[in-house]
Parts: sequence; C-alpha cells; structure tokens
Amino acid sequence: MSARSGPGLRAPQPRTEDGPASARSGPAAPQPRPKIRTVSGPDTRSRRQLVLMLAPYLVGLVGLVLVPAVVTLALAFTEYDLLRPPAWAGLDNFTALVDDPIFRVALLNSVVFALVAVPLRVLLALGLALLLHRRAVGTGTARTAALLPTAVPEIAYGLLWLWLFNPLYGPINQLLRIGGEQGLTVLGRTPPQWLTDPTSARAGIILMSLFTMGETFVVLLAARRALPRDVYEMAAIEDATGWDVFRRVTLPLMAPVLALLAVRDAIASLHFTFVPAFVVTDGGPPPYATTYLSLFVYQTGFEYLRYGYAAAATLVMMLLTVAAVLVQWRLIRRYRRLYTF
Amino acid sequence: MPDTLSTTGYQRALDLGGLLRASLNSVLVAVVAVPLSVLVASLAGFALARLAPRTTATVVAASLVALMVPATALLVPRFAIFRFLGLTDTLVPLIAPALLGTSPLYVLVYYLAFRALPADLYDACLVEDLSPLRTWWRVALPLVRPVTAGLTALTFVLTWSNFLDPLIYVYDRDLFTLPLALRSLSLLDPTNFPVFLAGAVIATVPALVVFALAQRRFLHHDD
Repeated sequence: MSARSGPGLRAPQPRTEDGPASARSGPAAPQPRPKIRTVSGPDTRSRRQLVLMLAPYLVGLVGLVLVPAVVTLALAFTEYDLLRPPAWAGLDNFTALVDDPIFRVALLNSVVFALVAVPLRVLLALGLALLLHRRAVGTGTARTAALLPTAVPEIAYGLLWLWLFNPLYGPINQLLRIGGEQGLTVLGRTPPQWLTDPTSARAGIILMSLFTMGETFVVLLAARRALPRDVYEMAAIEDATGWDVFRRVTLPLMAPVLALLAVRDAIASLHFTFVPAFVVTDGGPPPYATTYLSLFVYQTGFEYLRYGYAAAATLVMMLLTVAAVLVQWRLIRRYRRLYTF
Repeated sequence: MPDTLSTTGYQRALDLGGLLRASLNSVLVAVVAVPLSVLVASLAGFALARLAPRTTATVVAASLVALMVPATALLVPRFAIFRFLGLTDTLVPLIAPALLGTSPLYVLVYYLAFRALPADLYDACLVEDLSPLRTWWRVALPLVRPVTAGLTALTFVLTWSNFLDPLIYVYDRDLFTLPLALRSLSLLDPTNFPVFLAGAVIATVPALVVFALAQRRFLHHDD
C-alpha cells in the first residue's frame, strides 16, 4: 500500500512545483508549450477531420459491399426462401449448380459476351477518344453524339431496341430489306430474326452494348488530354509516323487507364447484360440463348425465391470476377515491362 | 413506316402508366441522392489524397475490390439486409448507394484529381493554418470543378436511370420510379410501340438535358 501511495503522493509535487516555476520564469516556459501544440495538436486534429471526411464512404463501403459480400458467402450454404429462416444446406447448392443445365448455359453466355463485347467496347471508346480529343470542326458535336446513348436510361434504351429489332416493323430490318425483294435483303438472304434466332439474339445484345461505352470514352478522353504535350512535340521533331506515336507513346502512357477500364468493363458486363436480356429478349430465344448470369441470379432469387441457390450462383459470379481481374492485371504487368526501360 | 404524326402516344403513356407520379418519385430520389453522392465522393477523395499513404492504400485497394464486385452480385444479400432492416418498399434503398459515391470509381476519380493538385498548394494551406475541411471547400474543390461537373452528371444519369434497384425493392405502385413505371407500361402491350416509346422519351429527356449542360464542362474545355 505504502509503495503504491508513495508515487501517488510524490507525483503531484513536481506538478505544483512546475506550475509556479513556469509562471515565474515568464517567457521561457510558455514557449515550448505552443510549439508542441502547433506540431502535434492540429496535426492529430486535422487527421481526425480527414478520417471524418472519409467516414461516410467507409460506411457505404462496409454496409453496401463488404457486409453483403459476407452475407452472400453465408447464404450460399443455406436454403432460404424469405419466409422461413435460412436452413443450412452445406454444399448442396453448389452440387446442384454444377448439374444445372440452365446455369451452365448462363455461365457460358456471360463469358462469351465478356470476351466479345468488352474488347469491342474499349476499342471503340479508345478510337473515338483519340479521334476526338483535339479541337476541330464538329468534334464537340461528335463527342456529344458518342456520349448520348450512355445517358439514355437503361430501360428506355432497352425498349427502343425492342422496337429497332422487331423483325417486321423494326427500322433495322426495314433498312436491310432496302433494295431486296419479297422481304429479303439485297443479297437475297432473309434479314436476321433478331428476337427469335439464338445467334442473332446474342449478336443483338452485343450490338446494343456497343453504343453505351460513353463512360469509358470520357475517361479515355480525359486520360489522353492529360498526357504531356512535350512528348508529342518530341515525336513530331523525330518525324514519327502516326502509328509509331500511337504504339510507342500513346498506348504505353494510356495502358494503365486502359487496363483499369477493361477490367471494370469486363466486370460491369456481368451486370449490364441484365436489362437487355430482361427487357428485350427475356432470356430467350430457347434454349436460354441470352440468359446471362445476372438474369439467372435474378430469376432464381426473385422469381423462384431460392435465395440460397441464387447466392451460390452469385458466389460463382464473384469468383469469375476475381479471375478476370487477376488475368488482366498479369497481362498488363507483362505489357508494362515491355515498354518501360 | 408510321403513317401520321400525333401526340396521342404521349397522352396515352401519361394516362396509362402513372408516369407523372413516377416522375415525381424519380425527382425526389435524384434530389436527395445526387448531391449526397457527390459530397461523399469528393470528401472521401480529398481525405484519401491527404491521409497517410498506408491508410490511403488500404482504402483505395478496398475501393478497387468494391469496384470489382458487379452490382448484380450484391442483389440478393443487399435485399436480405434491407428486408431485415424493414426498408424494402421504401425509397431508402434507392438512395443508399449515395454513401458509396454511387460508384467507388467516382471516389477514385476525385482522389486522383485532388492528388494531382500541386503539393505547394497544400503546403501553403498548412502554413495558412486552414483545416482540411476548409482546404477542401475553399481551395481544392474549386480547382477540380470540371471533375465535379462531370461526376455530378454521371451520378444523376445513373441514379435517374436506376432500374434494377426499384425493380427489387419497390412493389407499391405509388413509389414506382420512372424506369419501373416504364417497364410496367411496356408490359401492358409489348407491341404498342408509340405508347411505350413516348414513355421512353419522357424518361430520357431529363438525363439528356443534364448531360447536354454538363458535357460542355467536361468535354469541350480545351487547355
């Protein structure tokens, strides 16, 4: 006890001694205190403020992404129909998925779509960005035109294409029939039956998706503009051809942005196939020609109320996403090593 | 080819689909969600540009991961969560994504924009004893105005055309947003092109107007 109270009694003594001492010595003692405050005080205060500024976003990140992802992980091993509490199902959902022909078709459709549509979309956006980044007559209008389809709400865009694709009254097939006879094209072939033929329907969904690359286009436009001008002046002095400039200057400098955008687009394609497939083709024509993973998840969960099964399919979707990201990052790393020396 | 020009399609669309009510709901969601979203994104982007590198790297990595997750993949769990919270069949789940800046990409864009500002500028603000919040509001934010204009437009378009979330969370006709009302309009008669295309035009115009206004900012400013 005495050992404990000892320091306790002693401790205040230096403080009381220190107080009058600093008051006595006047200007010498207050000096160190403000110094400490300006260095450590506002620093921690501003750090706290910065963390507060970040907080709402962190809440969103945790509440809308992290927690749902964990919930998916848990739900995937259960049977859940919203009415009864989730029941543990072990790996049943996954074994059922493997044997589910619709799921396999949906998986294949999604992968094929990403492999075909994403490169086309990014290429189109890059081409337009490089074409339109300079100030010239009409570029402003052209940029706006390139962006407009992206600004159209998905559902309105889908309904528009429902009309465009109509085999009889739709403008696309009316155009294709110009010059032909008896409802055939000039080449004497029947125009595509967009909504009833599986291949045409898949092509149609890809065609629809090409015009909505506006976001990628804007980012690439900004990225192209941010490139240092003197590099291009140097290239001009060196008499580099347009192709050389593109291959050796523009492409390497824009590679990281392109990689980020391609990754983003590949993943987004899992999602943006939903509305076209839902509204325009309704997952058809048989057999499930345009049923993509997104539509499969939606139907399984919200139409057949098999949330556990839908979560398992979602998990597969996420794994696919991770795989896509890893592959593309590896590609880009190799690509950058080629150019940076 | 159509025979005559008439506006009956628009009238029928408005009468049949309850599009006016739906438009009001869409406006309500956009008015709350868009400013909130841009605010969250710019605050977070600024904080990331000013915080210690290790914190920033962690949050940026988390954002990239969040960016990886396709929206459809979160449908089921988010629905389960909002249902658990008793928030389904309200407009709250439609506004909630604003906390993410609508897309983590927008936070990252702000982060890159704020990071690209000269370090001298931030040093000067430190010397002037400006708090981070003031630096953000009075110095940094005015300098990235084109970014704000562009992201606001994109956020508005995403929020305005959001179809998937209302489809899942809202069942009450009175809470239908415009995209959802449009869908039910097209279900009434899928071959009545004039009516649902008129509805599509009504839903598209606000998005295009916002775009037309903002795009001069982020497309046409030549340096």
